[in-house]
Amino acid sequence: MAFIDARQIPDGTELTPDLAIIGGGPAGITLALALANTPIKMLLLESGGVEFDAATQALYAGEESGVRYIPLDATRLRYLGGGTNHWGGWSRPLDRIDFERRDWLPFSGWPFPREEIEPYFARAQHLIEAGPFLYDKLANGVLPGPLLPLGKGGLYNSFFQFSQWHGNPQHLPTAFGHRYSEQLKRIPNLQLMLHANVTGLRLAKDVRWLDHLDVATLSGRKFTVKPRHTVLACGGIENARLLLASNDVIAAGVGNENDLVGRYFADHAIPRDNATVVVFGGEIAGYYKTTKDAQGAHFRATISPTEAFRRDRQLLGALITVEQHVGLDALGQAAVETASGALGINASEAHAYSLGVGLELTPDPDRRVMLTSARDALGMPRLKLSMTIADDDLARYREVLNELGRQLLASKTGMLRIDRHSRADWLSVMDWGNHHLGTTRMHDDAKQGVVDANSQVHGLANLFVAGSSVFPTYSASNPTLNLVALTLRLADHLKGVFR
Amino acid sequence: MNRTRRNVIAGASIAVLAAAGLGYEGWRHLAKGYPPTPYDDLLSLLPDREPAKQVGRAFLTANSGFVPARAAGALRQRIAGRPLSTVLQDELAQGDIIEAGHWLLPQTLVGLCALAAKS
Ligand SMILES: Cc1cc2nc3c(=O)[nH]c(=O)nc-3n(C[C@H](O)[C@H](O)[C@H](O)COP(=O)(O)OP(=O)(O)OC[C@H]3O[C@@H](n4cnc5c(N)ncnc54)[C@H](O)[C@@H]3O)c2cc1C
Repeated sequence: MAFIDARQIPDGTELTPDLAIIGGGPAGITLALALANTPIKMLLLESGGVEFDAATQALYAGEESGVRYIPLDATRLRYLGGGTNHWGGWSRPLDRIDFERRDWLPFSGWPFPREEIEPYFARAQHLIEAGPFLYDKLANGVLPGPLLPLGKGGLYNSFFQFSQWHGNPQHLPTAFGHRYSEQLKRIPNLQLMLHANVTGLRLAKDVRWLDHLDVATLSGRKFTVKPRHTVLACGGIENARLLLASNDVIAAGVGNENDLVGRYFADHAIPRDNATVVVFGGEIAGYYKTTKDAQGAHFRATISPTEAFRRDRQLLGALITVEQHVGLDALGQAAVETASGALGINASEAHAYSLGVGLELTPDPDRRVMLTSARDALGMPRLKLSMTIADDDLARYREVLNELGRQLLASKTGMLRIDRHSRADWLSVMDWGNHHLGTTRMHDDAKQGVVDANSQVHGLANLFVAGSSVFPTYSASNPTLNLVALTLRLADHLKGVFR
Repeated sequence: MNRTRRNVIAGASIAVLAAAGLGYEGWRHLAKGYPPTPYDDLLSLLPDREPAKQVGRAFLTANSGFVPARAAGALRQRIAGRPLSTVLQDELAQGDIIEAGHWLLPQTLVGLCALAAKS
């Protein structure tokens, strides 16, 4: 069925699907695809159209405070496909340790182990079009160039795979809206409505049931949707906004009796040029510096701490990338001469590179989004993000770099300089992944999580949340593959709910 | 679209570490005349004192408490007549690395460099 334009819906209409999906990003689209051809009558409400539109995008504007972060209307996209309209396609599954409760990591522990989402990775990988699910297994096959010998130690060669939209002439990463539009139109039990902004989640009197959704268009239309069940899939920031702003019955907002909604926000910190690595033996293989193809995958190498090392040293996830060639100053050249000479290595072909990294952060309840008194064009309160990064998180990464430096020397492969020192120095090169995590965290206990292990909002039998806002800890892995896998799991759960 | 994590095209400023003088073989032939010091037994272990001095000076700017005589004693004990490369490999296996000018290096090597800088 063709997409419906919400601007054509008469004021005051009430729609009654079985399932409302709020948001047509990869989470919402995955859910619709996964529930295709079931008896569940779905209505997907998407705020934007099929292309970018400035007025709709402006609904995302907000404020940021604390550590410098990306403006809230630049770190997201509000039209069909959501963030995948400009994502980089970097993909990597969560590790086993990411799900574990670690005594040394406050607020850690998912309500289930990795095994619970493993069965969904293959389909998620297929949906994001990242080739065969290989990742670290790439090391066992033929690669275009040698792996960096790292010897024994806490770091190992690991791999990203990349989404590649095969129908696209430039092989850009899969933009879910464009890629799956035709498929979505053919789903008999789906209506997909564009330009439909959900502005309120309205509770029934007993506050245990979501009664209906308020929907508004920028052209001024207003109507309601009264679904049996609803999945909130508006992205890691907006999910929290909609819950917090729906405060007509519970003053703190829907699902926020325990003051958790919007807290524990996280992203992956990306301090640029944080270290310099010298490789004694010549140029590093190209797949460390950019993407290459092998074994059917589009991939790039990364260097990361093993799970054992992370457990042992109480470290967080870090995915180190080799960025670009750099020159060395006189001291750098002297250090290379001295170290290589003392170890008896010929370094005449040495090359130096800057390093980047994607870092996991410690969960912090004060890193959060909150409503402000400012309103958007639809009358919704805007958000303010309070951003933090702990010194400990930077110190933990320094320990990872120390180990890499040690391993490089011990294996006579190269050496390393740490290029960031004071906190100000680290912050001056800090970038962010645009990965919005944690604001509706998952926990079995309602006092510690907004949603339960099935992504159901605690205390509300018919409201679920999809997307990386449910991640209680964040890993260093990019979120989209993982949130798509989690959404497929949610789809299976919903099939049971509707049975 | 951020196929690379940075906005600048990677590789735009390629500066290969062209390494005239990096050749390990090369410096062995560069016999340099240094005045004798009480630490020559240690300093002779360094492949080339000039770059080592630079590394040592970088270490000393952040470690003003370095006392050559005391350090030399400790270094002799540590090395205990073994080849320098063996000592360094042992240290690396044990994680005994420190920073000199923010380069991560085995502790004994940095000690020798600091001694060279002070001599
Ligand atoms: C520049 C950039 C690069 C990125 N690169 C990567 C990468 O390389 N790898 C990776 O894994 N991830 C990457 N990401 C993150 C990735 O885009 C997100 O993880 C992913 O898009 C989140 O999916 P989602 O469906 O949960 O939310 P979104 O993609 O944000 O989709 C939410 C949808 O909900 C709609 N919506 C919002 N509010 C409402 C409302 N009130 N009513 C109705 N609809 C609403 C929006 O229009 C949007 O379509 C990147 C993001 C950015 C911005």
